[in-house]
Amino acid sequence: MQQFIYGLLLLIALAIPPIAHFMESVMIIHMHMQMPMVVFAGFLMARLFMDRFPRFFDKWNGNGVPGILLFVIIVGFWTLPRSMDDALTEQSVEVFKFVSLSLLAGFPLRDSWKRLNSLGKNILFIFFTILFLVVGWLYIDAPVQLCNNYLVIEQITLGWGFLTTAICIVIYLIYITFTDRTKYE
Amino acid sequence: MIKNRHQVISLLVVFVFGFVLFYTGTDGFRAFTAETARVNRLLDEKPKFPKITLEDSKQREYSISEFKGKYVFITFLYTSCTSVCPQLEMNMSKVYEQIPKKYLGKDIVFLSISFDPSRDTPQTLEKYRTYFKSDGETWRMARVPDKNELDALLKEFGVTVIPDGYGNFTHNSAFYLVDPKGSLQDVMDYKKIDEAADKVVKILNQEAGE
Repeated sequence: MQQFIYGLLLLIALAIPPIAHFMESVMIIHMHMQMPMVVFAGFLMARLFMDRFPRFFDKWNGNGVPGILLFVIIVGFWTLPRSMDDALTEQSVEVFKFVSLSLLAGFPLRDSWKRLNSLGKNILFIFFTILFLVVGWLYIDAPVQLCNNYLVIEQITLGWGFLTTAICIVIYLIYITFTDRTKYE
Repeated sequence: MIKNRHQVISLLVVFVFGFVLFYTGTDGFRAFTAETARVNRLLDEKPKFPKITLEDSKQREYSISEFKGKYVFITFLYTSCTSVCPQLEMNMSKVYEQIPKKYLGKDIVFLSISFDPSRDTPQTLEKYRTYFKSDGETWRMARVPDKNELDALLKEFGVTVIPDGYGNFTHNSAFYLVDPKGSLQDVMDYKKIDEAADKVVKILNQEAGE
């Protein structure tokens, strides 16, 4: 219950117009801070529902694959330059951004992650590494302004943000491959 | 087995949802950037050029009805721009050169509109136009002195202009073609000079043939 309240408070705080406007005024904060924080808010809120309706999640998301796929689809959608622009210019898309990233990405991530086996987890990490490398390269190398609401320089900054995130995932993957974590537990 | 069936169903639901989401979010996989979406929408809607007052480099003031019965080939710029605008205007001049002389001024007029009226005075535009061999008659450069009217025009034609705080603007660029009745007929890629010129000449030839 406590987690649900924290999550809800975080979500409300992020949605307060002055805060939302501030975060959205910088492209990289919009995509790499605001959006993940909304996902995290959903992640926190999910606990309450998982405890209340364990049967539902067991039945429909037993191995975690449907849930994680939903997560991937939602996150993938929000990396499109078009979605970001639309969120800034259309109120309904902005509302959908908060709803989808919390309920349809944060929720299923929480429920699915522990259900996935290590192969599934690794596939997901590798998928996001590739996605971030491709999107990062796209944002850095695009000869044109992809978002009408942001400057090209911000686009390049965001691209590097994606690349560094991808590099961090790779470092993590190498780390878990070559260390035996049971030794430290 | 039962458990599996449920998961197959939820997988399918997720897939269908994802498909619908991407389909609607990109106008049926046609527009992955807002700029493409904007052009598609303009071509669908064909907005009318609003009734606003233009002031050209010769300090003449008129509205779009000055060009009634003629096609108007339009670009948006500001003269202090050092990146896209000079290239945009250079490309425009190349299109201009490809239009047969007999049509110029009679069936089609070229018009560069500045969205920086405070700096782009008629004197500035008068000087700027000479860089691109614009004659000030069949290719005019003008500003929109009234801020509200300017905003209305930019909004109608979907031109997004963001001041960067250092006196420059970032903006989307294209060639716009307004038909003799004052409605937007086409939005063309400003980098594809020959394609745009061919298109315009073809339209003019058709009109002349009638």
